[in-house]
Amino acid sequence: MRYSVMVLATACLLASCGGPQQTSGKKYLVAFSQCNNAEPYRAAQNALMTKLFAEKHDVDLVIADAQQDNSKQVAQIEAFIRQKPDLLIVAPNERAPLTEVMGRAYRSGIPVICLERDIVQPNYTTYIKSDNHKIGEMAGNFIVDYLKKKNGVARGNIVELRGLLGVEGEMNRYAGAHEVFSKYPGIRIVHEAVADWIQAKAKDRMTEALRAQPRIDVVYAHNDPMAVGAYLAARELRREKEMIFVGIDGLSGPGGGIEKVHDGILAATFVYPLCVDKAVEVGDRILRDPNLKPEKTYTMDSVLVTPETKRPL
Amino acid sequence: MLISPHARDGSNIFLQTGNLTDVLRQMSVVGIIALAMTYVILTAGIDLSVGSTLALSTSLVAMFVVRPGPANLFLHAAFAMGIAVSASALVGVVNGMTIAALGIPPFIVTLASMIGIRGLAKWLTNNENIDIGFGSDAAARFADFVNSKMVILGTFALLAVIFWIVLERTIFGRYVRAIGDNEKAGRYTGLPIRRIKIWVYALAGLLTGIAGVLYAAENHQGNPNAGVAYELDAIAAVVIGGASLAGGSGSIGGTVIGTLIMGILTNILRLKNVDSNVEMMVKAVIIVLAVGIQKSGKKT
Repeated sequence: MRYSVMVLATACLLASCGGPQQTSGKKYLVAFSQCNNAEPYRAAQNALMTKLFAEKHDVDLVIADAQQDNSKQVAQIEAFIRQKPDLLIVAPNERAPLTEVMGRAYRSGIPVICLERDIVQPNYTTYIKSDNHKIGEMAGNFIVDYLKKKNGVARGNIVELRGLLGVEGEMNRYAGAHEVFSKYPGIRIVHEAVADWIQAKAKDRMTEALRAQPRIDVVYAHNDPMAVGAYLAARELRREKEMIFVGIDGLSGPGGGIEKVHDGILAATFVYPLCVDKAVEVGDRILRDPNLKPEKTYTMDSVLVTPETKRPL
Repeated sequence: MLISPHARDGSNIFLQTGNLTDVLRQMSVVGIIALAMTYVILTAGIDLSVGSTLALSTSLVAMFVVRPGPANLFLHAAFAMGIAVSASALVGVVNGMTIAALGIPPFIVTLASMIGIRGLAKWLTNNENIDIGFGSDAAARFADFVNSKMVILGTFALLAVIFWIVLERTIFGRYVRAIGDNEKAGRYTGLPIRRIKIWVYALAGLLTGIAGVLYAAENHQGNPNAGVAYELDAIAAVVIGGASLAGGSGSIGGTVIGTLIMGILTNILRLKNVDSNVEMMVKAVIIVLAVGIQKSGKKT
């Protein structure tokens, strides 16, 4: 115990007695609390934000990865609050656990941008979101149009692979598409399975669906990795030509959904906006004009990607 | 200068009262578990099930606090907390009885309950988080009250004092140490070894249950996936505090300091914006260094 006291004392001493650091002068400090770098969508957000803020030259961006841990994200934001950044951007891991700490940041006078995921109370300067319900509708309409073209009428068998239950994205991607499907009695969801957004799980669930269903027209997966997992399962049973695979997210870059459309694996994907370009645009305006009152919410639009509408990779 | 975190106006962030209490609050949950883990390790045992038990406790307290209950808000919250804490203590009792009665090594028994209790927590909640709202109902009031820094720090401090007194000033405390020091000798001198072991694991469950209630309030939710690897954080704190996994040596003061070292270190690294993966690597080095320094200190 004597020695642990020594270690503790040393740590505290080092922390409390160094002189002030070189202050970098007129540079703005932007702190970004990211919920989980391990998801490709999140990694794409980080990359784009780093690139866009680097173009500003007078902005220092710091990114903290909470590794999908609410407590860790709260602690990281608390550390940010102490550093008094000029702007705090938060992609909350979950609604309830992050609400309170974001409120503390907001009330302490730091402009807060809430990115993509909502929190329970409006503890932010502005909230930049995507519309999953609308994306669900777009996917539903695309599938209906495809079935009309394929079978002459809106009729066909759909396998639906769902993301993690209870998550906003999953609920609305489901609800949006089902609002469209419900108008066409000929369209049947013959198999519905939960694959938690994960490609490997989707492959297993799809294998079960293929065993149970002799005829499948469309696989509607709530994200691209699950659509790819379904494709792999179908290819193993040599049935990949029988159906089309529709995903959501449309990440650009290697391994992303857009590349999968380009490779002919997915028939379509819907870009789930990173929201980062808007966050940087609005954030930069806030930095330069602290009195700026941005809108409380900005909703980003999705884009359909098919082999015909292909965007540059 | 390398270590000290400063705000851009030159003031030292680490020393701000707000930051220091942030650190204490952030480490309280693991700190409370580590108190009981000290007793377990003193008896040369180990409890791997605390992370899962924490998840069970957060889930239960959230389930019962959001459900309609007694009209009195205080009673309602107390009822939910009581269920969560007693269920957690029960897990500890079962661990302790299995270890004491069947003579299966604690590592195996608590490994099994780590898996089983995680399953139970997930099953009870259907693997969904139970959100505690922000309104004015019992659940929200409970979270707002328990979530205050005073309550969390107060609980940790109070429990630390109690566990210190019990270990240092009571016969029970002396027995706990004696069992780990030399169980055979203890048996010959007629110590109630089984009863003490059951108590030690029950206390681990009890304190983990309390930590779970605090965790639920802090995060405004019950979470069946909470507390993964917390058992390892707690064990690390105890070991950094000078305890030996072979039993017999260790103290509550040491554990509190071990917890502080982990908490302060993490805080400094975060204030310095060190990558969270590097943070884990630094932690690893600190654990080995802290224990290494103590070992070499004892030899001389």
